[in-house]
Order: sequence, then structure tokens, then C-alpha cells
Amino acid sequence: MALIELKDVSKLYGFGDATTLALDEVNLTIEKGEFVAVMGPSGCGKSTLMNVIGLLDRPSHGTYSLSDKAVARLRPNNAAKIRRDTIGFIFQSFNLLPRLTALENVALPLTYKGLSVQKRLKRASQMLDRVGIQSREYFLPSQLSGGQAQCAAIARALVNNPKLIIADEPTGNLDSESSRLVMELLADIHKMGNTILFVTHNPELTRYATRVVYMHDGSIIHDEKTTIGRVAITARRALYSQPQTNEEDDLAGVSSLMKALPSKTPKRKKRASKVAAKPVKRHKKVIAARSKKS
Amino acid sequence: MKSLTRGHLKAGVSSVRSAKLRSFWTMLGIIIGVTSVIMVVAIGEGIKQQISGQIHHMGKDLITVRPAQLHGSTGLSSNGANLLSGLNISGSLSEKDVTTVSRSKGVTASAPLTITTGSIKSEGVTYDKGFVIGTSEDLPSLLNQSVEFGAFITYNDVGSNVAVVGQKVARDLFNEDVPLGRSFTFQGQKFIVRGIFNKFNTTPLSEQADFNNAIFIPNDVAESISKNTAPTYEILVKANDGQTAQVASSIESALKKSHGGQTNFSVVEGNKGVGSSDDILNLLTRLIAGVAAISLLVGGIGIMNVMLVSVAERMHEIGIRKAVGATNRQILSQFMIEATVLSLAGGVIGIALSFFLNLMLRLTTDLKPVISWPVVIIATGVSLLVGIIFGSVPALKAARKDPIEALRSE
Repeated sequence: MALIELKDVSKLYGFGDATTLALDEVNLTIEKGEFVAVMGPSGCGKSTLMNVIGLLDRPSHGTYSLSDKAVARLRPNNAAKIRRDTIGFIFQSFNLLPRLTALENVALPLTYKGLSVQKRLKRASQMLDRVGIQSREYFLPSQLSGGQAQCAAIARALVNNPKLIIADEPTGNLDSESSRLVMELLADIHKMGNTILFVTHNPELTRYATRVVYMHDGSIIHDEKTTIGRVAITARRALYSQPQTNEEDDLAGVSSLMKALPSKTPKRKKRASKVAAKPVKRHKKVIAARSKKS
Repeated sequence: MKSLTRGHLKAGVSSVRSAKLRSFWTMLGIIIGVTSVIMVVAIGEGIKQQISGQIHHMGKDLITVRPAQLHGSTGLSSNGANLLSGLNISGSLSEKDVTTVSRSKGVTASAPLTITTGSIKSEGVTYDKGFVIGTSEDLPSLLNQSVEFGAFITYNDVGSNVAVVGQKVARDLFNEDVPLGRSFTFQGQKFIVRGIFNKFNTTPLSEQADFNNAIFIPNDVAESISKNTAPTYEILVKANDGQTAQVASSIESALKKSHGGQTNFSVVEGNKGVGSSDDILNLLTRLIAGVAAISLLVGGIGIMNVMLVSVAERMHEIGIRKAVGATNRQILSQFMIEATVLSLAGGVIGIALSFFLNLMLRLTTDLKPVISWPVVIIATGVSLLVGIIFGSVPALKAARKDPIEALRSE
């Protein structure tokens, strides 16, 4: 039984000529207990994928089932309830409420669940203890270091015992020491049986993952299982290979990863040509516009 | 759910406190609105009570005889306490009428009030704020007002140039509290001060009737000075106990007879005029309170604007709250509670301010505002309502915000 099952999920932004395809018929199945790293250049749709999986955003097309429940077309309030009960978010910029103390921030999801003040503060305190910053309970986010703030954010994500934790570049704003701390913490949580999905730009961090998904221009172009403790093969190539690049690709930050891919012709291109030959009805306009351009 | 509301209440209070200055400016509209509504009604109520208090003070069995026909609907001019307002009415009563009235059946005391014009001088000081009234020895008992120093005009004083003055006259003309035996010149005649009245209770809105500014002289002296042109604008009559109505009608018939069947005068029983003046005062109070209530509305718009800004500023916070599982309704109630806390706090501050103003007015002016609790409760209710109504627009805006968009905004 898969925890997450995305089928032909697309996400379009904008209207008419300005339409952009952030996700292009993505198919992804994530089993319970996986620790998935999502990699790819900026603007490839990683964050959109996270938002769709995290029920912050609704896909334009396709189906999404979370724990065998269709959730792609949920009403906002129902989505909010599922977010509250089954999904924990960790953000790059921590996203703690600046006016609340660390403890109150962690207790926030419990507030929306309707727990009593005592109960939720007790649970929040336990959670802060688990992430190792209980001594900073009454500090405001501005008084915490980046690592501590992210730990508090992780505590907040965990406080409702979610089935799924989604982290969008959790170490993006942290120095290497704090990054390691945060990743170790996530690894710990993974060991307890949680499913974790995280976005990263840093190939080194694939060490912690059990699976690495590579994205480009809204599609998943490569998906590999990896062993914990080793940098994923593709990512390692991207990390260590001497990139033979041209300037244009470099600017987009694409080149090293693209060159590192196992197949010389990425899957996406193949599929795109197939689609172009036999356009899917609902994408007609977009694809027509695209082929016109090329 | 209860704890959730409490949490929102706490969040609302803390957000109000965290932006103290802005919150204050927001509340200012409500504060001014609530304060002005309460104060206007309180002052109106105070004046009403003062007037009826004065009537009561003068005795309910007082009958007022005035020249010309009085129309019941002219309210203010038939006001028993507003004694000098009868000046507005043309025509006057004659000395003969005074005698007729005093000889009517059941009359225990009567005094004419004859106004005499001219400047008052004493040792180079000219006093023009006051007025000279010719009257008779019964006046103190009719007005229920005693003489503080000296004595009032007596029956023996008929024809002699003596005067009894109000306290303001004493102070302004003679520059002392007890100017007994001092003299002043009026219409070329010299008058000697015989007595000084106790302070008359003054009633706001009827500045003219301030007897503290008056100089009382014997009626016949007043008539002779003015060569019988001074108008007797009012005759005050006291009837036997419990016979006010009968006495009033007997006076009326007696006067009618002496006027050759014409009713070019009116006889008003003491407390009859109060009703109509109350009506007018109530109307005025309501009118001004209505205008003040508009400022409550403006205050509500102010709250809406500040809440809109606050929602825009806290878009990111809304995004975070939604990401961790807040439903639209929970966000809505958070901002609604915040707006309500703001406006209610404004209302409470406004009430406190109006109590303070009430105290200040009582200490420094003649006004004696009476804050009525129903108005306080209504004002609180209205400010609450304003918060709910005007808070709902920004709150809805916040609640309907797309979480992704909200998270993206910084």
C-alpha cells in the first residue's frame, strides 16, 4: 500500500500565452517509510510538487491519493484538516511566527486541533525536548540560531504525529554544522518509521535518503534507490565529475546535473516528442504553443 | 473549541499590544464616537434633571402669569424655569393686573417681575451684564431662595430706593462679597444695597435667567423710573396647598374680566411647561447623539482599514497558519476576534474617558452630566457590532487567501 500515489499530475500556472507548466504529467509512488530526496535545478517544479503532495496546492490535472484516499479535489477546509493531522511541513526559511515563543510555535498545529492549553504546551515541550532545544522553550524565533529555529520548526512538524513530513530545502539557510544537525534529526525521525520527502540542492545530503528523485522542467527525469550513508550515484557524478558545460546551461544551474544523468538522452525529451505527436486533449493549447516556439 | 477561542483571544490581544500605536490610532475613532455619544446624552440628561430640579426647588404649586397667548407647542418659552424667556413675547401685564392677581382667591403670595433697562454705575464701574427687576416682597418665598446677607425688600420699602442683588452683581459691580450699604446709580437715581441673595442654581442653556446677575428693586420704583413703560413680563403666584389648579383658573377668569373678555395673557401651572421642554431637549439630545454615532461608523471604517493593512502585512503568518492546518474558519475567527478586541477596547476606553470628562465638567462648569447606564451599554454593544461588521471584510480576505500565495508573500 503506497502512502502517496500521483498519477499524471500536472500543474499549470497563468492563463493564455503566459501559461507555464510547472508539473508535466508526473507519476510518483512513495511507500510508507521512504526517505525521498528530490533534486533538480531551480524552477524545475520541485516546490510545486511538494505543495501538491502537501495539499497546499491542487493539481490542475491528474489524480493524487494519500493513504488510498483521493485528495486531489479536496475543499480547502478538508485539505487543511488533512494537513493538520497527517502532514508536517518544514520550510527553508523556518517559517516560525515571530511573535510567538518556540514553545507556542510548536504548539500551533495542536491549537487548530482544539487541544487544551495545558495539553498542547506539554506536548510541544516534549517535542522540543526530542529535538534537543527544550532549554530554548521561551525564546522568540529571533533569539534562536538558524539551526535551533529549524529544530523548532521540525518539532512543530512532528507535534501532530504526521504520517508524512515534507521538507522544502530544510538546510538551505543553514551552515554545514547546523545542516548536519538537522539532517541527523530527520534521519532519526525516519528511523522511527516516518515517511519523509525533502528537497535539496546539495548532492551530499542524498546520503541520508533511501531514494532520490531528479526533476527537470516539471517532469521526473530520473528516480533511483540508494543506500543510506552513501551519496546517490547520479548525485555523486554531479558532485565530483568535471563538468563540461556551456555558459548558457551554467547560468541556469542545470549543466552539471544534466551531464551526470545515466542516459545521454533524458527520458523527458523522448516523452515530450511522443506527446507532441499525439497531443493529449487537455494540453493541446500549451503544447501547440510550445511546438510553435520550437 | 473553547480553548481555541481562548487562544485566538490571546493572539488577538497580543497582536493589539504588539502594535500599540497603530492600535491606538485605530481605536481613536471608536473612542471619540463612544465618548461623544455618552457625553451628549449625559449632558442632555443632566440639564433635564437640573431643570426639573429647579422646578421642584421653586415649588410645583407655582403659577406663572404671562402676557399674550402662549402656544403649548412653543415648548421652551413656556418653561417654568426659563423665567426671562418670556421677554420674547410681546405685550406686557399692567400694574392693575398685578393687583388683580394678588387679590384673587387662594393666592398666598405673588410677585411681579418687571424688567427695567438702563446702565448701572457704581464708583466709576459700569455694569452691563446684569438687569434690574422690579418685584415685591414675596419673591424670595416664591423662588424658594433665601437672602444670604441683609434682608429682602419689605412692604415698607415701597417707594424707596433700595436694592437686593445677586452674587455675581456683588462681585462684579462692587468687587466684594457683601456690599451691604453700598450704593449704585441707575437711571439717574441712587440705590442702596439692602441685601444679597444666596447663589441661585443656574441652569445651562438658559443663561438669561441667571438671577445671580439681577438687581431687585421695589416694583413701584421700577414703574416710576420707567414712567410705567417697563414691561411686567411675568407674575409669579403661589397658591394655597393643593389648590393650584383652582387658583390658576380663578386668576384666569379674574384677569379675563379685567381685560374685557380678552385672553391676551396666559396662566401656566409650575410644572406644566416642563413636559414640553423635556421633549425638545430629548429631541436635541437624540439629534446630537445621532451625529456622534456617525463618528462611530467612521471609527468602524478606520478599524476596517487598519485590519486590511494588518492582513496584508501578516499574509506570511496566515500562510504559515494555514500550512500547519488552520482552516479558513479558524483564520476568519482569529481576525474577527482581533477586530472585535480592538473596537471593544476602544469602547471601554471611550467609556472611561467619558466618566473622566463627566467628572471634569462637574468640577469646572455648571453642567452636571448624568451618565445613563443604558447608553453605556448601548455604546459598548454598538462598538462591538462595529468591530464585527467592519472586521469581517478583512477577516474574510485573510481566510480566503490561497495558502501558497500567502506563504510566498513576505
